[in-house]
Amino acid sequence: MSHSDTDPNLHSEDRDHREDHAPGDEPEESAGHWILNANLGLGLSILLTVTAFVLAATHLVYAPSIPVALLVLAIAQMGVHLVFFLHVTTGPDNTNNVLALAFGILVVFLLVVGSIWIMAHLSHNMMPMPPDQMQSMQQ
Amino acid sequence: MFGKLDWSAIPFDQPIPLITSLLIVVVMLGVLILITLKGWWPYLWGEWITSVDHKRIGVMYCLLGIVMLIRGFADAIMMRTQQAVAINGPGYLPPDHYDQIFTAHGTIMILFGAMPLVIGIMNFLVPLQLGVRDVAFPTFNSVGFWLTASGALLVNVSLFIGEFARTGWLPYPPLSEATYTPGVGVDYYLWAVQISGVGTLITGINIVTTILKMRCPGMSYLRMPIFCWTALASCLLIVAVFPILTATLAMLTLDRYLGWHYFTNTLGGNPMMFVNLIWAWGHPEVYILVLPAFGIFSEIFPTFSGKPLFGYRSMVAATLFICIISMMVWLHHFFTMGAGAAVNTFFGISSSIIAVGTGVKVYNWIFTMYGGRVRFDTPMLWSMGFIFTFCIGGLTGVLLAIPPADFLTHNSMFLVAHFHNVIVGGVVFGVFAGIEFWFPKAFGFRLHPRWGKAAFWLAFVGFWVTFTPLYILGLEGMTRRLQHINIVAWTPWLYVSVAGVGILILGVIAQVIQLVVSIRDRDKLRDVTGDPWDGRSLEWATPSPPPFFNFAVMPNVEGEEAYWGIKLRAVETQQLSPQPDYQPIEMPVNSPVGIYTAFFAFVFGFAMIWHIWWLAILAFVAAYAGFVVFAWRDVHEFHVPAEEVARVDQARREARTALLARMAEQGALP
Amino acid sequence: MSDTPLPASVETIRRVRADPRLGRRGHGSEGPAKGAGHGDTGPASKRIIVGYGFWIFLLSDIVMFSCFFAAFAVQSHATAGGPTMAQIVETPRVALETAALLLSSYTCGLSFAATNARSKLWTQVFLLATGLLGLAFVGMELQEFIGLAARGFTPQRSGMLTAFFGLVGLHGVHVSLAGLWLLTMMAQVQLKGFRPEIIHRLICFNLFWHALDIVWIGIFTIVYLMGGLT
Repeated sequence: MSHSDTDPNLHSEDRDHREDHAPGDEPEESAGHWILNANLGLGLSILLTVTAFVLAATHLVYAPSIPVALLVLAIAQMGVHLVFFLHVTTGPDNTNNVLALAFGILVVFLLVVGSIWIMAHLSHNMMPMPPDQMQSMQQ
Repeated sequence: MFGKLDWSAIPFDQPIPLITSLLIVVVMLGVLILITLKGWWPYLWGEWITSVDHKRIGVMYCLLGIVMLIRGFADAIMMRTQQAVAINGPGYLPPDHYDQIFTAHGTIMILFGAMPLVIGIMNFLVPLQLGVRDVAFPTFNSVGFWLTASGALLVNVSLFIGEFARTGWLPYPPLSEATYTPGVGVDYYLWAVQISGVGTLITGINIVTTILKMRCPGMSYLRMPIFCWTALASCLLIVAVFPILTATLAMLTLDRYLGWHYFTNTLGGNPMMFVNLIWAWGHPEVYILVLPAFGIFSEIFPTFSGKPLFGYRSMVAATLFICIISMMVWLHHFFTMGAGAAVNTFFGISSSIIAVGTGVKVYNWIFTMYGGRVRFDTPMLWSMGFIFTFCIGGLTGVLLAIPPADFLTHNSMFLVAHFHNVIVGGVVFGVFAGIEFWFPKAFGFRLHPRWGKAAFWLAFVGFWVTFTPLYILGLEGMTRRLQHINIVAWTPWLYVSVAGVGILILGVIAQVIQLVVSIRDRDKLRDVTGDPWDGRSLEWATPSPPPFFNFAVMPNVEGEEAYWGIKLRAVETQQLSPQPDYQPIEMPVNSPVGIYTAFFAFVFGFAMIWHIWWLAILAFVAAYAGFVVFAWRDVHEFHVPAEEVARVDQARREARTALLARMAEQGALP
Repeated sequence: MSDTPLPASVETIRRVRADPRLGRRGHGSEGPAKGAGHGDTGPASKRIIVGYGFWIFLLSDIVMFSCFFAAFAVQSHATAGGPTMAQIVETPRVALETAALLLSSYTCGLSFAATNARSKLWTQVFLLATGLLGLAFVGMELQEFIGLAARGFTPQRSGMLTAFFGLVGLHGVHVSLAGLWLLTMMAQVQLKGFRPEIIHRLICFNLFWHALDIVWIGIFTIVYLMGGLT
């Protein structure tokens, strides 16, 4: 029965910048700022991508460590994209966006790691099968 | 031209589906003719079918859910009676048909009965409780509903044209692969669930965005009604796991249609991966259903105990705890599949831990009643019946969560009894409690209390008489999904179970009578105040039924239990807050895009099922064209003039003032 | 029953008067915290609601991709006597595809900067560049698929190839659909100009395109580079 005197919905358009921030949106800055930002993102991405391709194609690093190195580079590049292209920050206006992202990453992690773990266990516990029998099952 | 479709798809040789579907067709035609003769089409089209009002869409969801619940219940009756008569004999349902029935029962009850009911209540309630005027994406809301409805339609079309899956409600490969089930049954399942799954995902995104981004001023997170918290958790789970369902079914579709090898048992396919993925969706799915039900109970207990909810913050914590942990327990559905001790132990422990969150909630509900002035109205009866039923179901669930014990009860009737115990006792009781509770808010009159109580007691007793024997049968070694039975010793328990179904049928009849009687006596049961139960959250601040814009002026929340605070102030000062300055309101315009998209989704699904490729392409192009046309429109919103807002709100204020005056007359005020 | 008084509310007032300790305990913050991004001060603007809703949709899309990633991880050695991953990777093509998609992400970002500067011309130029780079990507991918099929390496051959085609193909389908969306957006920008709802859609398109590039980082790393290791 008690209502505020103003209806915030009518005035919300001018409130968004200090209150909250849409993901991927660009806060008020000059176009030059964002071009610089995109250049930086592109530069870092090229660096990380080239490193990944070089590592995979050559023997510059100890071979068994290559997959780990590739994964680290990929995660780093995803971070670069999030920061420079999607403008995700740690500011208070981004709390909801980051929380949602963290939730998504948790789900992906649980699903992928859980599946790999479970399925590896299953095949580990399978009865050993001689190759010829395996071959006959594949026909 | 018509792919695999020809006259042999119509089951002329099977009287049960043929007669049932003819009956349905006749009834539907009758309804359509009635609507046409009465000239109701403009009203239905303008006010319901194209409506983007979250309350209307919520009501339509609930209607769909109730119709599907009855359809699924009919399947249940056939299963129970078949098992009771097929002792050392064939019974009256051939295996072929019986297998379709248990598949359809599971699919319909979970995906087209319980889901629409739960989503419908969330849709109706969340914006009202948050003090806002609509959900974040009203038009998409309509699209989501109609997609769900066309999925449900596809399932029911399978009754008459072709067949439904015979694989169980989760179509495990390799049985569900084209090699072993070449018919259209699994395809019906796949496309119906895919289409409605997209609708569910849209709703999930919509409600998450609504709760996180659209709350009235002052409604901080820890002032939200607990139902909104559970709706948030449930919809976060929808967003997190429905894509898994989509992906898994898409993989099975690729296997069936293009001969790929995701889940085949040849050439490097891995059928167990399907089981793994589908349960990564399937387990959170039951929490998607039950969390909003928990929210409903958490609204009902405080209202009918006249006390604030006990342990609000622990309730929020428990809800989020369940939301996260529910994604870490899925393996307990296949302990026996052959993972090693480490995996089984991990998932056994996590499954037991998740019961802790629910335990916190149960204690909170009990302590809410403690010391309160409890009123035993129908919603409260369902809620108290829930606590008892759900606790037993939870306890048997903990038994199943222990891997060594699960090896004995896996796939048995014990399991069947367990999950009905939690889903009927949790979700269905919750939905009925919610419908009894919020029906006056939606329609402006209460449901008849006597018939409601009768329906509750019949359902409660009927439930226990039906399912207790199944626990015993499970422990005696009866497996699920048996078409006939060769062990005479089980006979008495099967008969008791059929008797329970009989009581449940009476319960359903009582429920229907309650609705009819309530509509007949609606003037006597009218809720003129908008607050029939002495409620505590913001939906009760609106008149019943609420105007399409919900709130004339957005409320300003100053504490928990927003409406309670407002009400206490009004009762104490014996006057309403000063009349606000009314402003024009912007509301979204109605849109036919929902029914348009859903129609072509239905055509697309049907064409894919029957391999009518040209029609599928046509439907896809038409849907895309509709999307572009919709995106092109210029008018999204219309203005409600301030005078109209003032006029509607005046009526509400007069009703409230009259209520205050009546209370003063009776000397009830302090 | 509309004529019953409100017993609980009256009761509460009486009890609180008799024992002030029973007064209402407030949970939550004392007042709405401004600028904290929690929406305490009322509903957010349409721009934020649309952007956030799409963000949530993207998360669900990423979860869908993660299922296909999991399937690939599980089946990457299920070659059933067919080719191994190392035998089908063409690193130069993958490098070109990666370059095309990365550049398209860059031009997409620039187009949005142009949108915010309200320059229709540059918005369209960069959107067009994005679309052409995307087309080049899809073209190269199709060429790869056709080449594999010509060697008999179809998804029907083995579980590994199924998982490979499924994951990479799903991404390709996403890029193609995004291209369709991009054309629609260009038409809308041209004919309707920078109306709020058009800008909201551009935000969403931007998000979608960048997210597809992020998924591609996972694909080229896990499928091609790690799969190509011998």
